[in-house]
Amino acid sequence: MVSFLAKRLALAVVTIYIVITLTFFMVRLMPGNAMSYLESQLTAQGGLSTAEIAAKVQEAYGVQASGPLWQQYLAYVGHAFTGNFGTSIINPGQTVLSVIAGALPWTLLVIGLALLISFTIGVVVGTLIAAFPQSALAKIGTGVVSFLAAVPNYIVALVLIYVVADRGHLLPASGPYSLTATPGWNFPFVGSVLQHAILPVLSYVIVAFGSWALTMKGSVSTILGADYVRTGEAWGLSRRRVTQSYIGRNAMLPMVTNLGLSLGYMFGGSVFIETFFVYPGLGYYLIQSVNERDYSVMMGCFILITVAVVVANLIVDLVYPLVDPRIMSPGRARQKGLTVSGLATENQVADPAERSVA
Amino acid sequence: MTFLRDLWRIAKSDKPALIGGVVVLIYLVVAIVGPMVVHIGYQKNSSLAYLPPSLKYPLGTDFLGDSVLSELIVGTRPIMEVGLATAVMVVAVGVTVGLVAGYLGGAVDQIIMRITDVFLTIPGLPLVIVIASIVKTTNPLALAGILSIAGWAGLARAVRSQALSLRTSDFIDAAKVQGLPLRNMVGRQLLPNIGPYVAIHFLLAVTDAIYAEVGLYLLGVAPITGTNWGIMINLAISQGALYTSQSAFYLFSPMLAIVFLQVALVYFSRAMDRLFNPRLRVQ
Repeated sequence: MVSFLAKRLALAVVTIYIVITLTFFMVRLMPGNAMSYLESQLTAQGGLSTAEIAAKVQEAYGVQASGPLWQQYLAYVGHAFTGNFGTSIINPGQTVLSVIAGALPWTLLVIGLALLISFTIGVVVGTLIAAFPQSALAKIGTGVVSFLAAVPNYIVALVLIYVVADRGHLLPASGPYSLTATPGWNFPFVGSVLQHAILPVLSYVIVAFGSWALTMKGSVSTILGADYVRTGEAWGLSRRRVTQSYIGRNAMLPMVTNLGLSLGYMFGGSVFIETFFVYPGLGYYLIQSVNERDYSVMMGCFILITVAVVVANLIVDLVYPLVDPRIMSPGRARQKGLTVSGLATENQVADPAERSVA
Repeated sequence: MTFLRDLWRIAKSDKPALIGGVVVLIYLVVAIVGPMVVHIGYQKNSSLAYLPPSLKYPLGTDFLGDSVLSELIVGTRPIMEVGLATAVMVVAVGVTVGLVAGYLGGAVDQIIMRITDVFLTIPGLPLVIVIASIVKTTNPLALAGILSIAGWAGLARAVRSQALSLRTSDFIDAAKVQGLPLRNMVGRQLLPNIGPYVAIHFLLAVTDAIYAEVGLYLLGVAPITGTNWGIMINLAISQGALYTSQSAFYLFSPMLAIVFLQVALVYFSRAMDRLFNPRLRVQ
């Protein structure tokens, strides 16, 4: 158990470190080097001495533009791990940290709500389809669900904006809350925030619940045919006991292992949904900074998105032993052997280390 | 020939997969033939802008007076090109890495798998956006290279776990004892077993690549030059298509084109398992 968590923690730290390193070298070694670009821009503007320009560049990126590369690198990594990503290039008065710290709650709000809703609907729909596979509703349901799971989320977002907001004027299509509301814990503000979150959340949910339902359906139908379920029924256990402890808990395992993957996907999708809904989260600022060539904000957003996904994965790993106690028991090696020999299907993977297969 | 016969037999029994396959085939034909037959003129004739659908312009015209249908057809090739090229790269890297890790095992396997874990954790789309914004390329192969960075790790893991279990299986031992040549080991023993994974992953990699590629154009991260579906939607939105109904055909035609292709690919991918898995193929 401890070694399992230690391994996951080490992986998390290494991933963040690699992303920070990657961003450092991308900005400096790629064609159109962002730091020399800023330098030449400032030189072209004139009125500044070379030393002043160097100081400005240093302020923007949190490192010295001159000096050996390894020195710049160490300074950058040190700064990044303490949360210092320099200042925005477009708005020099703003630190990158303040931009991304203001953006993170909005992204977490929308993605959190979307995940909760799509997961719940997915579990219910998937279970229903698996429980009554011959019914007409299950067949239509499977068709609809696998269709929705294949539609890109940005298309759903654009259709929602067009139909519901801009043509229908039913819900607001942009911003996190209306301008008339005063931020704080008051009723109009919270209401306005929720109202503005409906369409972005819906854009995620319409696409995501389909894949949750498909996973759940696959998982439940595999378990329905398992010997231990028949044994439970043969013992005369109550229907409730069989559905909850025998089928339900086991069917949830692949769902939990899929959480990590799904979160990465949702944080990725936030670039579209937040940009189209002008929703000031991490994805929105990532695209803004990309289009404005504000590299320091861009790197900050990218690093924070990765950190958010890594932390979310870590939380899933922490929760996993609660859902599947086998992972803590000494019999785990045996379990793993069983997994490899093919008892676990693509959808039903017992070890979170193997989750990516699904 | 037996392959084609099997394909037909499997497709016949699975209607969604059959329809999916036919739709994908139509897209391929349009991508290959379309640009030779259809030409777009960039007319810049404002009297022709935003015409409703007619016999001459079945999907109406855009803000420059060009036929939306023609743009749609011309725009198919760049999307399919990049989608297929990305999938080829993803499969090549994923299968190689997975087979090497699974077959060698030990320390090499551990190192490769930790690297794979890192790539699986980093959210793919933001990574692609950041790289694309710095590289700024219009070359389809370079774009495919960028897009494939996000995709190979999942396949590598799947192939590796297959290779791990194959390595210790009896029929591989039997093949080794018989002293079969490497060509037979790879072609007849290993590949049929990882074939379904690879085939399904190839099609899903195409959908992922198209999703990300169109997304890059939508966001304006990839350079807006030429004609493809992503650029069409991007231009439609920047011309205010979300606020009027007169350009609805211009806005929604490329979207529908993407949705049909994505859904068809996913449905078609379901038939792959039965096609490439020898145990399932035999009736």
